[in-house]
Amino acid sequence: MLRTQFIAVAIDQAYQRRQQDAEGEFYRKIAGQGPRNNFQSTTQGFYIATAAGGLLLYNNNRDPEKLNRLMQQHLQEFKAPSSATPISPGTVDARYNPSLPKEGCIVRVQARVLGGYPPTTDRWQKIFQSSLSRDNLWISKAEQQALTKGQVMQSLQERIARFHLVDNTRGEPPMWKKQEIRQLKITFDGMTLRGSVHLETDDGKRGYVAQLMGKIELRSGKIVRFDMVADGNFWGQGPYSRNAPLGRFPLAVGFRLADGTDAADQVPPQGSRGWVQGYIR
Amino acid sequence: MYRRYLPVITLTATMLFPELTSRIYAEEDITEQRFLQLYRQLQPAVDEPWRTIPWRTSLLDAQRQAITEKKPIFIWAMDGHPLGCT
Repeated sequence: MLRTQFIAVAIDQAYQRRQQDAEGEFYRKIAGQGPRNNFQSTTQGFYIATAAGGLLLYNNNRDPEKLNRLMQQHLQEFKAPSSATPISPGTVDARYNPSLPKEGCIVRVQARVLGGYPPTTDRWQKIFQSSLSRDNLWISKAEQQALTKGQVMQSLQERIARFHLVDNTRGEPPMWKKQEIRQLKITFDGMTLRGSVHLETDDGKRGYVAQLMGKIELRSGKIVRFDMVADGNFWGQGPYSRNAPLGRFPLAVGFRLADGTDAADQVPPQGSRGWVQGYIR
Repeated sequence: MYRRYLPVITLTATMLFPELTSRIYAEEDITEQRFLQLYRQLQPAVDEPWRTIPWRTSLLDAQRQAITEKKPIFIWAMDGHPLGCT
């Protein structure tokens, strides 16, 4: 149904409910007709709307059968508005439209908890326990050029550690502060990348100790292959990533150069949210 | 003479100091075999249903297309990007 009868769009509403531009105004016009119309707090959920901005449905139920029924019902009632005209983007609000630095590259990052969960019969817990997360790593032109000389710039090492060696398999994770990097070393011999990392909060309640290995190929100063894994033990959780296994548990993180064929390749890294300069310069 | 107690000592140490054993585990170099195994484990299946949906990431692009195709817009709006980190 989503493939053929709707125009499906996925957004991080923390951007659209704040951004001062045409897209933000259009989103707030739609969401403002629903129950979550205070734009100082979350407006997350599923919306069905017309191209003129009329709200047909708001729902925040994760039960797919229920949502499917509601979608079918509203599809039958839908009539394309004759008054809708394409909205020009105009000047976009740069604060909420972070873009990949010129000649930078995008690497897909996916994490999985490999064990440690107690057995469960709960449908939703099973989904979380087996989930594969998704984020993107951005690498700058200068960092790619350094790799051609066998150097892994400190900025790249720290970006990988702080923003991508996280347990984001159950929700938005806390990123690591710079001072939480207890040990970090990544080297590259022109073909194989190797590294080790120890990340830990001051109170010791959350941490990750891991080894890294990667295969990287460059052509004319640009990355053409970036396959990497981090393999180690994680402990702890964040306020939005609760129900982690108790104690230390194996967490692996995989990296693969994006080829642009996946819509998610265009999503800015989670670590850039709110302050892209803190993520990449 | 302590050899017979070694399994008990090891088990007790593991229970009392789990961080020690996990740290040792994490300090082992990743082998080529382990690298390939993990790399495969960390790739999504090509036929996962969500990957077959033509998601857009721009609401205004979706609005334009909805006009052209005379279809309703389905918005999946989350805290954190639904296609990325959420």
